[in-house]
Parts: sequence; C-alpha cells; structure tokens
Amino acid sequence: MLAPYLLTLPAGLWLLVLFLIPLVVMLSLSLQTCNPATGACVMTWHWGEFGQQLSLYHTQFVTSIYFAGAATLIDLVVSFPIAYWIAFYGGRRKNFFLLMLLVPFFVSFVIRTVVWQFILSDQGIILGGLKNIGLLPQNFHILATGWAVIAGLAYNYLPFTALPLYVAIERIDKRVLDAAYDLYATKREAFLRVILPLTIPGMFAAFLLTFIPALGDYVNQQILGGTGDTMIGTVIQNSFLVSLDYAGGSALSTVLMAVALIGIFAYARILGSRTIEEYL
Amino acid sequence: MKEQDAPGPERQEAPMDPSLWRGLSQPRLSRRQVLASAGTGAGAMGLAAFLAACGVKGNAAPSGSSPAGGVGTEAWWAKQQLHHTVNFANWPYYLDVLNGKHPSLQHFEQTSGIQVNYTEPINDNVSFYAKIRPSLAAQQYTGFDIIVMTNNTPNALGYLLQNHWLIPLDQSMMKNFYKNAGPLVKNPAWDRGNKYTMAWQSGYTTVAYNSSVIKNAGNSVDILFDKKYAGKIGMMSDVYELGSIGMLALGIDPATSTESDWAKAAKKLQQQKSDGIVRAYYDQSYIGHFKNGDTVVTQAWSGDIFQANLNSKYADLKMMVPGQGMMFWTDNMCIPLYAQNPKDAMTVMDYYYDPQAQAVVEYYNDYVCPVPAAKEVLLNPTGWAQQALKDLKPEIGLPTSVTANAPTVFPTEEYLKQARNYRTYKNAEEVKAWNDLFLPITQGA
Repeated sequence: MLAPYLLTLPAGLWLLVLFLIPLVVMLSLSLQTCNPATGACVMTWHWGEFGQQLSLYHTQFVTSIYFAGAATLIDLVVSFPIAYWIAFYGGRRKNFFLLMLLVPFFVSFVIRTVVWQFILSDQGIILGGLKNIGLLPQNFHILATGWAVIAGLAYNYLPFTALPLYVAIERIDKRVLDAAYDLYATKREAFLRVILPLTIPGMFAAFLLTFIPALGDYVNQQILGGTGDTMIGTVIQNSFLVSLDYAGGSALSTVLMAVALIGIFAYARILGSRTIEEYL
Repeated sequence: MKEQDAPGPERQEAPMDPSLWRGLSQPRLSRRQVLASAGTGAGAMGLAAFLAACGVKGNAAPSGSSPAGGVGTEAWWAKQQLHHTVNFANWPYYLDVLNGKHPSLQHFEQTSGIQVNYTEPINDNVSFYAKIRPSLAAQQYTGFDIIVMTNNTPNALGYLLQNHWLIPLDQSMMKNFYKNAGPLVKNPAWDRGNKYTMAWQSGYTTVAYNSSVIKNAGNSVDILFDKKYAGKIGMMSDVYELGSIGMLALGIDPATSTESDWAKAAKKLQQQKSDGIVRAYYDQSYIGHFKNGDTVVTQAWSGDIFQANLNSKYADLKMMVPGQGMMFWTDNMCIPLYAQNPKDAMTVMDYYYDPQAQAVVEYYNDYVCPVPAAKEVLLNPTGWAQQALKDLKPEIGLPTSVTANAPTVFPTEEYLKQARNYRTYKNAEEVKAWNDLFLPITQGA
C-alpha cells in the first residue's frame, strides 16, 4: 500500500530540496530588501522590484529571446536531417551514431566555447586564411558580434534538439509510409503530409529543451559576444556576483522563469499537454 | 486550508440549503475547480507566510571604529596564544610551488613550528566574500585565519572594513613589515596605518598595445579612445577598472573623485562604446584576445604583459606607462573576525616581509613585490633562499636577475610616481552609485 509512495520518495525529495525550496527562497528574496554589505535581508513585500528590474533590463530580455530563438531555429533545421537519417537509415548502428552526436559534449561546456574563440579569432585559422587570400576585408570579424553568440548557442545546445527529434522520428511506424505510397503519395508528399506532422510534438519538445536553457545562458555571450549584445543571464550573474544585489537578481530570475513558463503553457494550450509528457 | 473548510457544528445540523438545490440544476463549478481555487487561496496564504519567513537574519554591522568585545586591542592580543596551526586562504598560482610543495612555506614551518594549511579557494573577490559573509554575520569562524582581498573591490574588502569584520592587526608583531615594506604598501590609502591589512602582492592596471601594428603609441590612455583602432580596442568588464581608467582619461584622480566625476567618466565611456571603438568588455580572457590579435590596444594587468613577453612570440606586446598614471592595486592579507589562530596568522604574515621569503615568492609569481629589499636577494642570493631559488630555477627557466630587474616587479622611480589609487568608497550607497553608472556600460545595449 505504501510502496508506491516510498518509491517516489527519492524523486520527491530531490524535487523538494533542489527545486522547490530554492524556488521559494528565490521568490522570497525578490520581495526582500537586502543590505549588500552585511547580507541581512528583511521582507518588505517590495513588488515594485519586478517592474523596476524589467524597465532597467527589458532590452537584455529581448536580446535573449531573439538569440535563443534564432539558435533554436538553427538547431531544428540542422538536427532534423541528422535525426531523420539516424532513425530511418541508422540500422544496427543507431546507438553508435547517437553516441557520435554526443561525443563533443563530453568536453566541458566552457572549454568547448573557448575553443570557438580560437577558431573564429580575427587572425585565426579560418578568418586569417580567408583574409590572406583576399576573400575577406582585413577588418572583418565574427567574434564580438551577435552572430558569434547565436552560433555558440546553436552549437552548444544541438543535442538537446537532436535527441528529442530522434525519439519522435524513431517511434513513427514505418508502415504509415507504405500506406502513403499505396495511396499514391510521392516521396515529397509522404514526407510533408505524413512524417512531418507526426514529428511536430517532438519538434516542440526539442524547441522547449533548447530554447529555455539557451534563454538563460550567460557563458556564450561573455566568451563570444561584443558590446551591446548582453543577454539576461549575464545581467543576473552580475546582480549576484558584482553588485551583491540578491533581491534584484532574484527578481530578474523570477521574471525569466515566468517568461519560460508562459512559453510552456502557451505550447500546452496549442498542442495539448499530453505531448509534452511524451517527449520530454 | 483546514480552517477555511472545517464545517462548524451548526452547519452540520442545518437543513439542506435551498441554494444547493438551485445549484444542482444550474451550471456550476466542478469539484476539481473548487478544490483548485481553494487550494490556490490557502496555498497563497501559506506561501506568503513562508516567503516572509525566508528573510536572512544577518547581524547589523557593529558600530564604532573597531569590532566589539575589545577584539584586536593590545590587551586582547596579549591574551592570544600560538596554536601552532593556521588556515591560510589565497588565490591560485600566488605562492612558489615545487613538486607540489611550497618552498617558502616549508621554510616557515621548519623555523617557526607553525603548521600552515595553505589553500587556494579565492578566484574572485565578491564571490569569496559572499561565501564567508554568512559565517561572519552569524558571528562564526569562517574557517580561515588569513584571507587575501583586493583593495579595488569595494564590495569585498571594502565591506569587510566597513562592517568591522577584520581583526585589527597586532602592530608589535609586524617587525619585518615596518623594517622592509615598500612605500606603495606602507600606510596605504585604503587602510591608513595598516590597521587591518598587509599587502601580499600588488600590480598595475594600465594600457598595453601591439607594437607590430602601432608604431608610435605615445604615452597617454587616450589611445584607448582613438577611432583609428575602432573595433580593436579591449576594455575590462570589471566596473572598478573601467570607471577608474575613464577618469584617468579625463585627468581626474580616481582616489579623490566625486560622484559628478564618475558621471563624466561614464559619459565618456558610453560614448566610446556607442562610437564602436570598444570591441568587447573582457574579464581575464582579454589577454588571450590581445595575443590573438583580436585587439591591438587593451586595458591590461602589468603581470600578464610581463609573462607574455617572456615568450618571444609575444615580444611585440608592450605595456605603456601613461602620463595620466596607472591604477595600482594590492591584494591584502587580513584576519577575518572570529579567526581561531590570530597569533599564528600574524606570524605568517610578518614572515612574508622577510626579503628572502619574498624573493622566493617573487621569482615564482612576478607581481609587484611589497619588499624592495628582495631585489638584492634575487641578484645575490644568500641564506636559505639561495638553495630555494636554485631548486626553483629549472621550473621557472629564467635567471633570477630577470625578475629582479623588471620594473613591474620592483617599480622604478617612474613607476612609483605614476601609481594611482582606486577610490575608497565610504559606504554601500557609494558602491551602488558607482555600479549604477558603470554596469550599464558593460552590460547595457
């Protein structure tokens, strides 16, 4: 009788200690007023903090949504053929190909990003060569631009798109294709009207799994970006680690989470919540 | 939730409410909706109480000019005993290392009988301060008897001083210090009379340029604002470095600057950014970009340029001594309040003002040496340092004279003259005012 409850205990505790409690502390902190010197905080129910932070940093929110959105779209376009190919033509080596997809990600996130600094540097192995043969103007650069940040995000979050897409494509019953051909569908029609609709829930799961972490990312912009393209993650980091402004940082995190949650609920409304559970 | 739903005794006995009959024939809330809304209401109330209870109970900083309970007074120091152990927290790569051991510390342990637990947990002033702050607020030992904090970070060392969270040093135990400390670190602006701190190492924040691209760089920080190098100029993301150099460019001494000066500097730096002159605001990674050629002029730390020049590949990277001055920062040893081994801590701190000990440290790390007499030891090694320097040589791969003759290690007259101090902030409001001016530059649109 108790067994099912006991079995959920580890997961429940994990959720409570590592998610719910920190979440409540964050919500609480965002309404408090803190002394940065002593760290003493008092609850002042300062609801104005949200509006204040949002008015200060709405530009960085918009930048984050734009960068994360662009990176996610790139990932969807790039990883769809990969996932499709592995699911349909991977044969017995499917697991090997999936592993190959993940191998670069055994290296630490920051190191992978820093390596891009060297690859893309102004006089580096790619740009330096192209400049020397006159294909690019001398002052051309990719680093320190928004494009570099989008590229970094797309690169770093690719597996979060590719894997859910693979799962979605893999579980398509291959006989529906035969049925489509029996009904005189061309290859193109079979793909557009049978395969693609069946992968839409997977695509949305991939979208969420990529977009949400990319939205709060604070590494790529700092390593690859330039001026004026700061993402909200960096602002939150600075609130905590430069200004010791825990209330402000918590308020920004709360707003960021609200934005992400609204995204999830909007998605659930459009496609039904069942599909989220299936593919996440 | 219980109070709201609990049926009162009179309600149990009451006849069936006519409204209930009406409800049965009319659209109404489903059971689930009722439960959900009741849950939300009660949950919100519970959450509110819980949120309010989450306040961090910190102790207000003690008022007055020194910690409560006479800590750090002569009488207090007289009562302290040696415990023959001390916990020393420092930054990484800041103390001589040979085969996993620290020669200068080993010598200290052998001669003093005090065992030093040397750790390197400090990677950043503010986050380290945030880590020890809860202990100090709760009036507990932080686990460290010596910590090393930079004077240019007001929301770390500045707050420690303002909160009286440091133990005033025992001046009678600073014999080596008063005998050997250099002019830049004795009686410094951020801690008059060395009441709370003794320098560990220092450095300059200045301008560096790539001499293979820029032939006549001159000697002015204005080069950082030169449109000729637009998009190839690196600035620091640290708001205290950024704001300070902005003021030097306007001919203002950061140490004595006023809030209106800060606003002027912020305006100049904002203009520099909107003109597309700045490539990016960098953390320590600036040096990699400078070496790669991504930047040709950059704000730079003297130690990094010295290290880069040791490799002939980067010999073109030059450090400038601008006419407007160079920011001089110092990492300070200090004893956090509630330290368990203060007397042992004083012993180690003063030991490092011995020229022989300092020579060994300097040969390894090449920062600005707080002890000018260490130069002589590096040129003509004597005593125990002779063996230690000899042992370290294969590891370092350079003659000790290179370190001894570097102006960035032992400042020349010119370097001494051009050193400028950071602003010493009076309180948290001043720090906030500064951050509110300069953070929008590094992280704004």
